[in-house]
Amino acid sequence: MTKVIDTCSILVLTALICFAANMVGYKGELQTSLLGVGVILAIGVLGFGISQLPLLNKTYTIIWVSLLAIFASSPLCPWSGWIVATTSKIQFMAVATPLLAYAGLAVGKDLAMFKKLSWRIIPVALAVCAGTFLFAAIIAHFALKWEGAI
Amino acid sequence: MDLLKNWKIHLFALAITVASESIGSFKYKLLVLFPMLYAMLMGGIISWPRLNILSEKQMQYASRVLSTMMILLLVKLGLGIGPQIPHLMQAKTALLLQEVGHFLGTIMLGLPLAVMLGMGREAIGATYSVAREPNIAIISEKYGLDSPEGRGVMAMYICGTVFGSVWLAVLAGAVAQLDILHPFALAMGAGVGSGSMMAASMGSIIAVYPDLKVQIEAYAGAANIMSSVLGIWVALFLSLPVAVKTYGLLARLMGRKEEPAQPAKEA
Repeated sequence: MTKVIDTCSILVLTALICFAANMVGYKGELQTSLLGVGVILAIGVLGFGISQLPLLNKTYTIIWVSLLAIFASSPLCPWSGWIVATTSKIQFMAVATPLLAYAGLAVGKDLAMFKKLSWRIIPVALAVCAGTFLFAAIIAHFALKWEGAI
Repeated sequence: MDLLKNWKIHLFALAITVASESIGSFKYKLLVLFPMLYAMLMGGIISWPRLNILSEKQMQYASRVLSTMMILLLVKLGLGIGPQIPHLMQAKTALLLQEVGHFLGTIMLGLPLAVMLGMGREAIGATYSVAREPNIAIISEKYGLDSPEGRGVMAMYICGTVFGSVWLAVLAGAVAQLDILHPFALAMGAGVGSGSMMAASMGSIIAVYPDLKVQIEAYAGAANIMSSVLGIWVALFLSLPVAVKTYGLLARLMGRKEEPAQPAKEA
């Protein structure tokens, strides 16, 4: 139960920071931004709730949250029009910027370990990240062409 | 409650966010800069151990907030996919095939370099994936984290956490500015299966192609979900065996024994 309360309180607070980001960075209006963040928060809490149900609590939260959000915005959901309209007022970046702020604030704990690594891992890590991005993008490019999607 | 005890972290996050968003984005030649990157850098400076602003515990708490907040990012991402399903269905072959690139690209670019630089079996753990939590679990299960493979995956995990997102943002921005690959293809490339890496690289692509934002978000989101859902299975049954085989081949080509005498401090 503590975990549920903890998670929900963090979600509420971080959603408010997203709201602030949306106001500052993307000139969002107060009311529409607040409503948009509220709907995103509600779907998030509901998705998290589903992942905590008995039998499902061995599965990954990310799957349920993603599926619920896709469903809520798809034509299958009777309220999808309203949900898409309200949440589109929140920019993706308004959620991503605070996320990366927390990532930055957490990075210090890994820096001590990072300093102990051999220099060799650095070029290798750059190549690993570049590889997954570039190869997927190149394959996607030719597949899209072949499919006639672009 | 944890939330109130750690008010300092949240206050920093709010201040960083507001500051970063007020600066806005810039493009200069191949370089694309946008708020998310400043946020990560500012956070990194504040958490710099030498400065003693945050305690180890507070940083660990920030990391927990990060993984919880990922829920909001995934919701926003998912909400961008639903309305685009018909559009995405036209590109279903591309969406499926590009996953091959995600799951083998790390090995194709990373493994030869690692072996050339003289890494031992650490190279397998370091290059078979982007080393997110499920990938560590797989290596831990198969080899243990004290093994060379285990040290490799941990080293890659730390590097990915420290500079993976920033590097991918810079790279994706530069590749997008070159305008060789279609923005939708780049968006799928961004779906590497790690929330912060995806957000950072997608941010760059959107900064270069702001008019295609809706589709870019849908493609990147769809690819990212596929990478994270399929990830654990493909990593276990495809990427890892391929990495092990390729390592053996490369090590032999370079005239090294299968188990080179690499001391524990390597990698």
